[in-house]
Amino acid sequence: MATPLFDELARGDAVQRAESWRYSRNALRALSQLDFAPAAASAAPAAPLRAQYEWPQTQGHRLVFVNGRFVPALSDPPGPGCRIEQGADGCTLQLVAAGALAHVVHVALPGAGATRWQARLQLVASAPGTRLIEQHVAAEGADVLGVFDFDLALAERAGLELVSLGDLPGNASLLRRTTATLAREAQLHATHAVFGGRLQRLELGVAIAGDRARLRSRGVFVLRGREHADLQLDIGHAARDSSCEVLWRGVADQRARGIFHGGITVEAGADGTDAQLSNKNLLLSALAEIDTKPALVIHADEVKAAHGATVGQIDERALFYLRSRGITLAAARRMLVAAFCAEALAGIDDAGVREQLAQRAAAHLPAPEAGA
Amino acid sequence: MLTIDNLHVRVAGKEILKGLSLQVNAGEVHALMGPNGAGKSTLGNVLAGRDGYEVTQGTVTYDGRNLLELEPEARAAAGVFLAFQYPVEIPGVNNTYFLRTALNAQRKARGEGELDTMQFLKRVREKLAVLHLKDELLHRAVNAGFSGGEKKRNEIFQLALLEPRLAILDETDSGLDIDALKMVADGVNSMRDPARAFLVVTHYQRLLDYIVPDRVHVLADGRIVESGDADLARKLEEHGYAWIAERRVAGAA
Repeated sequence: MATPLFDELARGDAVQRAESWRYSRNALRALSQLDFAPAAASAAPAAPLRAQYEWPQTQGHRLVFVNGRFVPALSDPPGPGCRIEQGADGCTLQLVAAGALAHVVHVALPGAGATRWQARLQLVASAPGTRLIEQHVAAEGADVLGVFDFDLALAERAGLELVSLGDLPGNASLLRRTTATLAREAQLHATHAVFGGRLQRLELGVAIAGDRARLRSRGVFVLRGREHADLQLDIGHAARDSSCEVLWRGVADQRARGIFHGGITVEAGADGTDAQLSNKNLLLSALAEIDTKPALVIHADEVKAAHGATVGQIDERALFYLRSRGITLAAARRMLVAAFCAEALAGIDDAGVREQLAQRAAAHLPAPEAGA
Repeated sequence: MLTIDNLHVRVAGKEILKGLSLQVNAGEVHALMGPNGAGKSTLGNVLAGRDGYEVTQGTVTYDGRNLLELEPEARAAAGVFLAFQYPVEIPGVNNTYFLRTALNAQRKARGEGELDTMQFLKRVREKLAVLHLKDELLHRAVNAGFSGGEKKRNEIFQLALLEPRLAILDETDSGLDIDALKMVADGVNSMRDPARAFLVVTHYQRLLDYIVPDRVHVLADGRIVESGDADLARKLEEHGYAWIAERRVAGAA
């Protein structure tokens, strides 16, 4: 099962030349030095890993993939309004009724040496009020690289809340290409959380193809150590009176590296488009680096568009205020970083799911009792 | 309780405090008055441990310890509280969570047991009642979107909740209407205690109509130039700070 993205990576030269890989070229090059063998069909995930995704909120709705393969034995039977089919070219998931929920978990289990897995998932949402949780977890161990193609199609007037969590240890890398197509009056509310990982790249392409379709994309990355995350948003408005609201946050500590590219294109004729982009980033160490680039290209008239991007440090005044009340420096830093991330997660409707992500984020924040 | 001796402080290369000395005993309320730029806020910030204030000379002793070598959070745990002139807005941090974290961090540092949610909320409700505050304040983010008056009330609420032994109020009265001013004064008066001291930094005598100080000090050009009882504040209000300057010139002559 060869996915196009994997083919592209195999032709390393093309990827390396691409402008969108500019800031991740070295990270990719280092990764390509490893000799990745295809991952074996593996045993069931151990309890600590399962604890990461066995949420009470999604019990009865989990679909578990291990090293890229769908494992029905580890999964729940598809819930109401939810169908899954396994084809030669990956899985197809359909959410056909209001309230349909699926929690798709990709588990990466490393082998003795470096291994890779690949998968492709197609999702069709054809009703309002559908929900999908996409989660990537990996066990610690040898290097493991995942390549995941994810295509979403939202039918007319369909509504999907996508909560996507890539929460990885330092031995895991994940390259994702997610594309979504929104038909007339479709609504996509997406929240992406990218935590940890040796290299995580998410290409999120959204084609707003139908009139009055709406996209809300929120997201956050939290990185430390030598972790590297690269977010490439590419939103295209090709219809009338559509909107997108993009709000992303990034945090990098120690020697971590984060990249945010927020591309929005408004095609000729896409009048009445309302596009808003906000990207704020927090550097917690002098050695961390975040590059942000909002890129709005507008070919239509009568368009409302606004964008803002910042990279800053923790607010010293707020830090002193908290400390003056007795909160330790480390705890105060952590509190402020958690608050900074909270805005991106605030868009998740389900409070229980939101709390799951906040807890996972907490595991990647500076330790509460670490030294200054 | 607090002994400041010949304190010299530099901020961004400029000397602001130039030999300030002050003795505050437990149970006393001291008012520190003075014109703009005299160094009033600098003193509050130095005592609370803010970065960027360089002590070039002098000592500050609190309960027999060198206060200046403690981290801000250690000072708080030791009972020092600064009510900020400009309380900081912290979006995303819930006020209740903040207060509970602060109180428990202080208790932990002092070797006391942490309060659980029920114990904490009980204490919060008691304090809210005393200060006539709405509990709506608790559900919001710390000072975020608060009016000037609400921010100052929140400072006094924190003061009541944290029960410090030395409370420094940095121009808490500035920008307050008369009702808010009375509320602040009531809050302070309800906390007057033989074991607790207050240092009330203010521009105007007005607050001191409601919080009657034991001692009043006039700070000018980085040092205390006049000390007296509550009457001194009234004389200042009548004659202005220029009067002090004239008296000093006359005294020197």
